Amino acid sequence: MSAPLLQAKGLSAGYGQAMVLRDVDVEVAPGQVAVVLGANGAGKTTLMRALAGLLPFSGELLIDGQAVRNSRPDKMVGHGVSLVPQGRGTMSALSVVDNLRAGAVSRRDRAGVEEDIERWFTTFPRLAERHEQPAGTLSGGEQQMLAIARALMSRPRLLLCDEISLGLAPRIVQELFETIAQINAEMGTALLLVEQNAALAMKIASSVYLLEVGEVVESGDARDFEQSESIRRVYLGY
Amino acid sequence: MDIFLTRLFAGMTAGSIYAMIALTLVIVFRSSATINFAQGEFALFTTYVSWWLTERGWNIWVTLIPAVVIGFVLCAAAERFLVRPVRRRDEAAVLIVGLALFTGLNGLSGTIWGSADKVYPRLVPVSVDSFLEIAGARLFYDSLFVMGALVAIVGGITLLMSRTNLGLQMRAVATNQESAGLCGIKVGRVFMISWGLAGAIGAVAAAILVPILPPGQLGLPGMFHMLIFGTVAAILGGLDSIKGAVVGGLSLGVGLAMINGYGSALGGSISLTVALVVVVAVLGLRPSGLFGSKRLERV
Amino acid sequence: MSTLIDKTSAARPSGEAPEGSGRRGPLVILRGTGRYRGIVAVCLVLAAGFVAWGGTLQPFEQGQLTRAAIFAIAILGLNFTTGYVGLLSVGHSAFLGLGAYTTGVLVVSYNQTALSTIPVAMAICFVLGLLVGIPALRIRGLYLAIVTLALGVAFPEIVARLGDLTGGAEGLTIRRTLLRPPEWSGFTLGEKDQWLYWLTIVCLVLAFVVLRNVITGRYGMAMNAVRQNEIAAAASGVNIATVKIFSFAVSGAITGLAGSLFAMYIGSLFAEGSFTVLAGITLLIGLVVGGERTMLGPILGGLIVVFLPYYTSDLGGGQFSAVLFAIVLIAVVFVAPDGIAGGLGRVIAKFVRIEARRPEGRDGGLLGTRASDPEPAADPGAGR
Repeated sequence: MSAPLLQAKGLSAGYGQAMVLRDVDVEVAPGQVAVVLGANGAGKTTLMRALAGLLPFSGELLIDGQAVRNSRPDKMVGHGVSLVPQGRGTMSALSVVDNLRAGAVSRRDRAGVEEDIERWFTTFPRLAERHEQPAGTLSGGEQQMLAIARALMSRPRLLLCDEISLGLAPRIVQELFETIAQINAEMGTALLLVEQNAALAMKIASSVYLLEVGEVVESGDARDFEQSESIRRVYLGY
Repeated sequence: MDIFLTRLFAGMTAGSIYAMIALTLVIVFRSSATINFAQGEFALFTTYVSWWLTERGWNIWVTLIPAVVIGFVLCAAAERFLVRPVRRRDEAAVLIVGLALFTGLNGLSGTIWGSADKVYPRLVPVSVDSFLEIAGARLFYDSLFVMGALVAIVGGITLLMSRTNLGLQMRAVATNQESAGLCGIKVGRVFMISWGLAGAIGAVAAAILVPILPPGQLGLPGMFHMLIFGTVAAILGGLDSIKGAVVGGLSLGVGLAMINGYGSALGGSISLTVALVVVVAVLGLRPSGLFGSKRLERV
Repeated sequence: MSTLIDKTSAARPSGEAPEGSGRRGPLVILRGTGRYRGIVAVCLVLAAGFVAWGGTLQPFEQGQLTRAAIFAIAILGLNFTTGYVGLLSVGHSAFLGLGAYTTGVLVVSYNQTALSTIPVAMAICFVLGLLVGIPALRIRGLYLAIVTLALGVAFPEIVARLGDLTGGAEGLTIRRTLLRPPEWSGFTLGEKDQWLYWLTIVCLVLAFVVLRNVITGRYGMAMNAVRQNEIAAAASGVNIATVKIFSFAVSGAITGLAGSLFAMYIGSLFAEGSFTVLAGITLLIGLVVGGERTMLGPILGGLIVVFLPYYTSDLGGGQFSAVLFAIVLIAVVFVAPDGIAGGLGRVIAKFVRIEARRPEGRDGGLLGTRASDPEPAADPGAGR
């Protein structure tokens, strides 16, 4: 079997003295959808930020089996890993289309970039309508669409999504999840999702990590998790 | 009327120069969120290089090329090797490094070229009759040249910002550094280039202003007041706005010309005191200036 | 009153090697023991010896030492607000100048004795400090630095415009006879420089002791709290506005004291000469190089800003000292963020540690309390 796309071994990270993540192992295969579940403060965002190169970490991070050290976000984008950060991951003073162009700065194929912009405008027609507007004037849902499209502009092989459902109306959340599931299916982009809305994430995920107080307490196949009564009750709430 | 126009022209000339200095500060601020206190001294150094070359028979316009290159390289190197390592620590450390560069570059210029004032040639030679007469007031060609230079610089920056990939990256970094990094933008490289660009523009601005603004000669203390007025202009315009730097610079120039002109009965110049009042008023009442985005620190 | 010198207490804050961790831990000395008192006594004797030696120097060397002590006082003042509260001021030259001109004008135009002008100079600078402290409520960091910069830049211009009072651009000369030492001091007019030396030393010691007591007390804790995290400080009941304004005012008063002494020392005042913002930058350089948030730092800083240019003036005709300052300053920022005093403190800490008998309370070590300050918490909003 080929090496996983992304593999973290014994990853620890935190802010200053405070270690938030301890010794975490996570693995995502090419084209796979994995979800990280956990309560507030479990370290989910810290994990995503470390993987995206926004936070220094200790432990091992392998991309295609190759070790990556002391990373920076632009380097991780170069490795094909792109993050949709929690909250608004857009550049508010830039227009919608400039946000998308900025998302593609690592690419050299101008024609391909323009094609992709068209593609995401087709996927998210509401962005197309507002393509000259500054991103800061968009609604929350539109900004989240823009953040996703922007992250996809670098043509990542792995998309990290940090709570894209946060603060959005259920109907929009439903739409967003359908969209990323579709992207995964059509483009083979692997997804690593952090979600509070576990039920929704479980529908598209094939593997699951449970994070508690900075440590992975359980991990495995998503279908097995759905069978487990206790987990379902605690994390899925049904 | 003619006195008013004369003062207006003088104010716009000085204001154009303040605007150029303000632009260099704004470009740095947009990337690094700091004021480079040494900006004027970088320009002083490059102007000394330019002067030194003219003494060796170079054409003044040709000397601008090495001046601009040196301005770019020095500022970019200062960002990369002196500012970036401490900028994560705190704001004060960055300011202290700026003050060190300020002191050091001034001293270095003095060590190399001596402290006596130098006669620095004008880019555009003028004679007594090289002016346009407008309603009885004289608008000298070199004033037109200064305003033209400002228009050219602002036009160049605007094109760079709106039409190029580098400009897109600079705008992205100015809005949100973290998101810019997540786009794959090399944020550190953008910082370095921004500083270099400011250094290059500063080199041009200094070459223009030295023969025009008093004392009309190249001397060690010359750039500091320019930096002050540039800072005030930038704050008035709202530190992170290019448009603001231009409007701020011109308003400050015209405003000071009027106050010092019509207020001359009070005796002596009060430009710096006015500058103090403007800074305190802007930062106290409307910290984001005329055109800045609202993100200044307040508690 | 707390002791003037407990130099080695610096050992405690940095405490890199807890006991038993190294092959041979540092020597631990408990506060209040005979050995501790012995060390304090030795340090006091050394300092007193240095000061007494300064009293026997030739006029020029002694003058330099007086000048260094005056700058030390000014930097002590700057340290109070820039070091401890973190309100960066580039324009403390205005306080120095205001203090100097207050003394100059009162002595020349109002026939006051020089000594009696000191409290007036301090009071006026205190008021200016209150005024500057007000913008500090709304403006922080870089922006406050710009406000103080503007103040420092505007000061000479304002002085020049108040020509009737200050002599304007021509300057203000205080005749030597007006600076006659008071009779009770026992110094004659010919010994004016001696008198000024001792007066400055007394002022330095007083300012040092008073500020040290404030900094090590409750108020000092509030100042540290405001610097590290305003929101947390406010939540703990610290009145941020009071701390900021008061610290700026006290800082201004102390620097004004230095200015008053400076007027007596220099005799003739030129706003464009001694009180430009370059002087303010010099004070800041002295503070950073000497050591922010240390008690000894300002004294080292005063010595450095006076003697470094003096001893390097042979090289490259005066301008070179500026280059050297820049190099030292950058080296300090990179290598020893707590300045020479802080760096020394850390070196000494490897060998000697002073500990309280009972681990209670905090001490403001002579060489700095910085290392003992807890790191400001990472932005809680950074989320997880």
